[in-house]
Amino acid sequence: MSTARLETKGLSKNFGALEVAREVNFRLEAGARHALIGPNGAGKTTFINLLTGALAPSKGKVLLEGEDLTGLPQARRVKRGIARTFQINQLFRGLTVLENVCIPVFERMGLGGGMLRAAGRRAEVLAEAMRLIEMLKLGEDAGRRIVELPYGRQRLVEIAIALGLAPRVLLLDEPAAGIPSAETHILLDAIASLPRDIAVLIIEHDMEVVFRFAERITVLVNGAVYAEGAPQQIAANREVRAVYLGNALDA
Amino acid sequence: MDAPQTAAGRFARRHRFRWWELLPWIAAVAAFFAFPTYLAFGTQLLITILFALSLDLVLGYAGIVTLGHAAFFGAGAYTVGMLASHLGWNEPLSGLLAAAVVAGLIGLVSGLVLLRTHGLTLLMLTLCTMALLEQAANMGAHWTGGFDGIPGLSFGKILGLFSFDVLYFRSQYLYVLVVLLLCFLVVRTLVYSSFGQSLTGVRENLLRMHAVGAPVRARLVIAYTISAALAGVAGGLFTQATGYVNLSALSLERAAGLLIILILGGYGRLYGAFVGAVAYMVLEHVLAKAYPTAWQLGIGVTLVMVALYARNGIIGIGEALMRRLRGANTA
Repeated sequence: MSTARLETKGLSKNFGALEVAREVNFRLEAGARHALIGPNGAGKTTFINLLTGALAPSKGKVLLEGEDLTGLPQARRVKRGIARTFQINQLFRGLTVLENVCIPVFERMGLGGGMLRAAGRRAEVLAEAMRLIEMLKLGEDAGRRIVELPYGRQRLVEIAIALGLAPRVLLLDEPAAGIPSAETHILLDAIASLPRDIAVLIIEHDMEVVFRFAERITVLVNGAVYAEGAPQQIAANREVRAVYLGNALDA
Repeated sequence: MDAPQTAAGRFARRHRFRWWELLPWIAAVAAFFAFPTYLAFGTQLLITILFALSLDLVLGYAGIVTLGHAAFFGAGAYTVGMLASHLGWNEPLSGLLAAAVVAGLIGLVSGLVLLRTHGLTLLMLTLCTMALLEQAANMGAHWTGGFDGIPGLSFGKILGLFSFDVLYFRSQYLYVLVVLLLCFLVVRTLVYSSFGQSLTGVRENLLRMHAVGAPVRARLVIAYTISAALAGVAGGLFTQATGYVNLSALSLERAAGLLIILILGGYGRLYGAFVGAVAYMVLEHVLAKAYPTAWQLGIGVTLVMVALYARNGIIGIGEALMRRLRGANTA
């Protein structure tokens, strides 16, 4: 089998007696459009935190293109190309959209510590930030502060910040959460138009989003992989339906 | 021009000097000629502005909540005082440099420890650092003069040309003004740099700064060190201008007063330090004359009003007015 873009081997995490990840073996292929689903408390966000290094695993490994990242802190993993978004917006609320997107671009280009040259004179950073802002159709709001934006637009900034890191792996934690259903299509279009050289893992409760976007689905229950396969297989899997999908699909 | 272009253009030009940025300096020079008998007061005012500016860098831009910034002011003040009284080192500029280095080192070492914490813990630890230094200055009487401090210091000529003017404070005023200008240019360059942008990122969302891979703690420690060095310069200027140093340089009263100044003027705004220092010191001056026993009440009431109705301070009120005017123009 070829090397996966991102892979976990026997990844486990427990908080005392509580096991939140159990022996998770997971592969995210290059160019993947992969969804991670499961009931509340299944350990989906914990799994993301283990991938990014925000949490250290109790056991097991995280590999990026075959290289072991397990001991690396979060900042180093970001440099290697793992970026994430948050389930609850984590934005620079008092700053403009443009400044929000410039911050990760500065960090990626290693300019975040530069003290002499004015931030505004880094034309390459400005151009890159504007490109991402236009890509997510946020152009009209570029000069607005986050607090002035409706929630749906803020969710797009959440993604723009992650893209500012030019990731090889993008982890989207419930990107559609809290967006009025009439507006989800804007977000879906944005996710669908992400370039294929980024492998995307999405956690989502909205099954419409999952089945429109994902080419592969992993079902997580009680911290362990319960099922994995193509969307049709997962949708047809009786046990999965019983555990989780039933209500959502019938509704 | 459409919105994206406007936003990009504004970002690309925001560090450029605007005409009104000359006003405080023109005012300062005008005051030199207009109020020749008030120059001692004016010198204190300029020193306070520099001190407030150093606090704005950490509090306003990096979001480091501190109640112990007088630690660095005092470190600088005592450095200059002790060098002059014990070693006879009374050359002013190298004295300031020494003040900056000592205060910066204390900032670096304490920052490495303190900046692992935040919020209330950090607030208390900054207070503790200052209290420790104050006690050290109190107990090391042989070096620091203890409770009485070091009085009657005299300093050499500035650049070997201008002697300190004990009676009228003319040379002190201009000397402090020039140092303030240089330090201001340093702070201004910093806050508009990508480093400054990353500090505002830390202030606005610590979690996200970690998630974009920024070395958050290193950035904070660097900002804290620079701020401490600038506060040290302010303290050094204080000793040089007044010719004495005592425990009040390290007191909670000084640190808390500084916080009031920055809140009054508006923090995270560069010019809040100027406006706040002028407002506070003029208010203090006027109130103390009118109500010698109860002048602090007036400061307190003003602070409550600002906290309730003008969260962004006096500068914030100005910004809101400007926005409204502009809105009226375009409408």
